[in-house]
Amino acid sequence: MNKLRKLTIAVALSLGTMSLAPAVLAETGASEDDVILSVAGVMPVAALEMTDEPGKWFKDPTDGDSLVVVKPGDAVLIKMTDVNSEHTITSLLWQPGAAKFPVDQDKPSSASVTQTFDKPGLYVFTCKVHPYMFGAVVVDDPNTEGLDLGSEIQLVTGAKVPTTSDVAKKLLRTFFVATTPSLWRDYSKPSWDLKLPSIPLNLGGTVIGLDALNVSMPNRLSNPATPGVGEVWVNAQFETIKGKSKPGSATQVDAEKWTIKKKVKGVDINMNNPHNMWTDRTYKYIYQTEWFDKRLVTFDRETGQIYGALTVGQSPSHVMSRPSDDSLTVAINGEDRVLKLTGGKHPTAQDSVNTGPNSGPHGHHVTHDGKYALTPNALAGSVSIVDLDSGQVSTVPNVGVIPIAIWGDASDKAYVANLLGTPPLLSTLSVIDLKTKQKIKDINLAADYDPISGKTTGEAYGLLPIQTPISPDGKYVVTANTLSATITITDTSTDKVIKSLLCEPGCHGVNFGMKKGGGYYAYVASKFANDLIVIDMDKLEIAGRVLLADTKDGDIVANNGMGGQGVLPLPIADHGWIEQTAKLAGSGQLSAEVEAWLGALTTAQRGIDLPQKVSSLP
Amino acid sequence: MSLSCFLRRLLLFCSSSLLLTTFFIASVQAEYVPIRAGSVTAAAPSGKMHRITLRAAALPSGQLGYQMVSHKIQSPDGQTEDVTNRYSDKPTIPGPAIVMTEGDVAEITLENGISNTNQPVSLHVHGVHFDIYSDGTMKMLNGVADEAAFPGKPYTYKWTAAPGTAGTWMYHDHTFGNPMIGAEDRGLFGALIVNPQSGKVPALINGKVEEVNVSDIKREFILWMHETTFWGMEVNNILKGKQVPLWTNPTLGARLGEKVRFHVIGMGTAFHTFHLHGHRWLLPGTANVVDTVNIGPISRDTFVVQAGEGVGTGDWHFHCHVMQHMQAGMMGDFRVVK
Repeated sequence: MNKLRKLTIAVALSLGTMSLAPAVLAETGASEDDVILSVAGVMPVAALEMTDEPGKWFKDPTDGDSLVVVKPGDAVLIKMTDVNSEHTITSLLWQPGAAKFPVDQDKPSSASVTQTFDKPGLYVFTCKVHPYMFGAVVVDDPNTEGLDLGSEIQLVTGAKVPTTSDVAKKLLRTFFVATTPSLWRDYSKPSWDLKLPSIPLNLGGTVIGLDALNVSMPNRLSNPATPGVGEVWVNAQFETIKGKSKPGSATQVDAEKWTIKKKVKGVDINMNNPHNMWTDRTYKYIYQTEWFDKRLVTFDRETGQIYGALTVGQSPSHVMSRPSDDSLTVAINGEDRVLKLTGGKHPTAQDSVNTGPNSGPHGHHVTHDGKYALTPNALAGSVSIVDLDSGQVSTVPNVGVIPIAIWGDASDKAYVANLLGTPPLLSTLSVIDLKTKQKIKDINLAADYDPISGKTTGEAYGLLPIQTPISPDGKYVVTANTLSATITITDTSTDKVIKSLLCEPGCHGVNFGMKKGGGYYAYVASKFANDLIVIDMDKLEIAGRVLLADTKDGDIVANNGMGGQGVLPLPIADHGWIEQTAKLAGSGQLSAEVEAWLGALTTAQRGIDLPQKVSSLP
Repeated sequence: MSLSCFLRRLLLFCSSSLLLTTFFIASVQAEYVPIRAGSVTAAAPSGKMHRITLRAAALPSGQLGYQMVSHKIQSPDGQTEDVTNRYSDKPTIPGPAIVMTEGDVAEITLENGISNTNQPVSLHVHGVHFDIYSDGTMKMLNGVADEAAFPGKPYTYKWTAAPGTAGTWMYHDHTFGNPMIGAEDRGLFGALIVNPQSGKVPALINGKVEEVNVSDIKREFILWMHETTFWGMEVNNILKGKQVPLWTNPTLGARLGEKVRFHVIGMGTAFHTFHLHGHRWLLPGTANVVDTVNIGPISRDTFVVQAGEGVGTGDWHFHCHVMQHMQAGMMGDFRVVK
């Protein structure tokens, strides 16, 4: 791990135990003052190059790591080198009062930024479209003890927190884990040991060791006692696979036996960071977005054969069909639109609906009647309600900071996860009334958490919420919180967090599948771990953990089963979709396997009568 | 119908008379006088010979750059001038600007000084003439040879600034890291300025289009628009071509009334609109007066302005006018002093 060597060297230098290498200064031709009137701009002493590579999203070209250590007054070049889509270069956190901060752009581009750092301390950069791409700059004053992280950090949300606080340590630990694949939680090993060396960190005078962030816990896999019905597709987005330069697979898990059936790797098309999937009503095709790229891939569910990869726009994030006609909607996260496509084997673009300037829609949701697409506009902090027939768009402004995922229920309500909360609240779900097109309330997911001490006094403990579906029976919202590594369960009748369950570092994707004999499982995938968590929605407890790594597959070079993001359980448990498939039972249009799945469902699972309130929206 | 008319019908020209007959005759002549375009051996012997050694090396940041090791210029009368001290003695981004005049020839030896790699690095130049062995690409692209420097194994290129090649051109790597693309994106690029043999370039001076003597241009400001960063280099003609690396988003300085030449070149993937406050210039090849030009990858605009003409001294801002590029800091100043 180069960043640790680098930190050690920086500390050694500050203690005077190693000699300083001569700094290379920009030449200004000082002796020719009268004639040379130009003043050189800054020459960066270090660089962070953005890539599509798991963990190395901001890569120091000298050693391949995502952290550089510089001195006050130095400049760092941040640029895009090995990326297939556009990004923003955005300050996630920085030192309060630092000159020329924060760094940001309204929308993604191929930007390069040369940034000078005047104030010692920690600075973290991210991309607003892909907000776990992290790169850090530590500006270390060689005259102080230890590595300077500063006494406070300013978060992009406006909050300022002491570096000694629990939330700051969580951010630091998350940075180290997210950007270091060797520290990811590998469930093919008996335990997870996050061991960092005792490098002294100077938190504005308080010196602690980096090893204060260490964690050690056993890895226990277990199959749920009750089988599920069908299968679960999980995007292991960070798997490094032989024969292609870009990472990721779609991993197919048997929900009855809890084994891996296959991995669709897309070697021939160099499938790049597969993020989210959907299917047609016969479950013949899987539609796959490439989030760090520009394409929508179609492959055969049974054979894994790839039928095509259609260029749809910058950073397509989520795909969902309209249950009424199997046509597709794709959120173009790196742009400002939802693309409408025909379904089938070779989708073709039909129309594009603009979601507003600099909106960047991410995890959208189609209402059960297929009339509306709801988009959480990650870059604009708003929600758009897109009428898929007329193309009319209504926008709910000022929802939160980086609203990243949304889910509509069977009536007029939708829940949206704000990755960076609703200031001053650190972590929120917003409730949107689709009829009045207004935000009704914010649910504080971290109401029972003290960000300074880290004490929790109740179940409401979720930080940095991501995917947030509503259970098919409408009772619960299940949210994956990536920073706290918790799953929060919110009761929709009270809008209170009633349960918090432990998940993995970087937990991210959630979706519901069918439990055998009735009821539902919630499946949760995590970016920096390789298990799939199964939650029993009748008990609101974790029913099991299933390994997503295929340890016998020699073509998986690294990060086996890691990068869990999009989750697609089949049969689709969502009302609106399940009825369309159930209708085809016995028609000859479904495979024997799908027929058997449908046969195993209870009446309630096959579709209940829904209130038709959504269709009465103005 | 005669055979010739039949042939002319095929060319859809038969119904017309004189003009088309002329065309037909011309096309017949073309059959007998094949044109050998771009012949490298046709270099004007009156020009100077540049013997250059460049090295590709890493900067402290891990970016790459070209560095001038040696530049000697031999006149047709046999006199040799060593101009190596014009250049920085370290690798820079952009690399050294190479200045030639139509009729000159350059022999450039490239050394691979990038440590911890056995990747080939090359020089591919735009605009001037060279034969297939000086293309600066790998055999997989050019079909004849790996035209790149390996560690300990330099490669020599020959460029001919033939008549008609006057202009500002790019040179860049075409092999490092990716044999299809190269590593210009990581800093391996520089400018080649070919001055016209006439010694004159058109410019808007005191509101009128006139021919300016190249020898009257005091400073050359080379600005590369790479994604959202300007990378700069000054060639100071008062100091006999002294080169001043200006790194990122610099302040360019000139005295009021001096004739200075801007060379604005795009690279990478982004499209830009270069705008300089308070100044106007000619769109190349036209009499159109502009203060903003479109710059795409490897497209460029070279123009002469009289510093502060009509507007006086001041810090005249220059920037890309694409909004998110400005937000990323793509800007600098043109400082005009008394």
